[in-house]
Amino acid sequence: MGEWSSFTAVVRGLCLLYVTNKYLGTVTITYGPSMLPTLNVTGSMLLVERISTRTGKLRPGDVVIFRSPEAPRKIVCKRLIGLEGDQITYVVDPQSGDRCETIVVPKGHVWVEGDYIYNTKDSRNFGALPYGLLEGRAFWTLLPRKDFGPLTPKPE
Amino acid sequence: MLPTLNVTGSMLLVERISTRTGKLRPGDVVIFRSPEAPRKIVCKRLIGLEGDQITYVVDPQSGDRCETIVVPKGHVWVEGDYIYNTKDSRNFGALPYGLLEGRAFWTLLPRKDFGPLTPKPE
Repeated sequence: MGEWSSFTAVVRGLCLLYVTNKYLGTVTITYGPSMLPTLNVTGSMLLVERISTRTGKLRPGDVVIFRSPEAPRKIVCKRLIGLEGDQITYVVDPQSGDRCETIVVPKGHVWVEGDYIYNTKDSRNFGALPYGLLEGRAFWTLLPRKDFGPLTPKPE
Repeated sequence: MLPTLNVTGSMLLVERISTRTGKLRPGDVVIFRSPEAPRKIVCKRLIGLEGDQITYVVDPQSGDRCETIVVPKGHVWVEGDYIYNTKDSRNFGALPYGLLEGRAFWTLLPRKDFGPLTPKPE
């Protein structure tokens, strides 16, 4: 009987973990230069919550994770710049000048950009992101230790 | 999705394994999160996978003008079976694969349609 009760305890623990992961929040590890200086190049561990994306309470300036529209198995982390209906002016290619373009974010979509605009693949490359691809909002950095704390607004 | 699905409502059995493992094939009936209304789940037929060349009738009610496109990477092309009254990839473009929720493979209701979903009627 002892093995059975510990087995059910394990099953219950896994169910709780699954429900938490799917509906409440998760931990994600990011790497790459596209979100400098906010995130670390060699890797950051972020705490992500899924409630804001489910209830639709996201605001521009939030750091969000989403499923890449070009590589569906990849989870990408960028900053939310605009919601549907917002008018976005962006620099098309920062490395080759200051040419700007202005668009309105279509219905059911959002506009995301990396903080380090010189080396990032974001909505400037793949266009407005369908809202259904959003996975969660990152709100706290766990690692590296020196960055432990809430994620900051976009540096000017 | 006439005549495959019922106008007043069909209950379908949907499996999520094909979408997760990537084993979808053109002709499958899939459900996905609408790219224009993220809380809405839509059911259409998968016509093409990434890299496929799709020729489609732009507006069946106003003639036979066709357009051909290649489905971009990470996207799929979906169309309703009843092309005269459907909002599908012809309207909102190629669908990002990440929005797919599952593959419908069996009709439960209405009773007269009980059974596997058929390939697209010609």
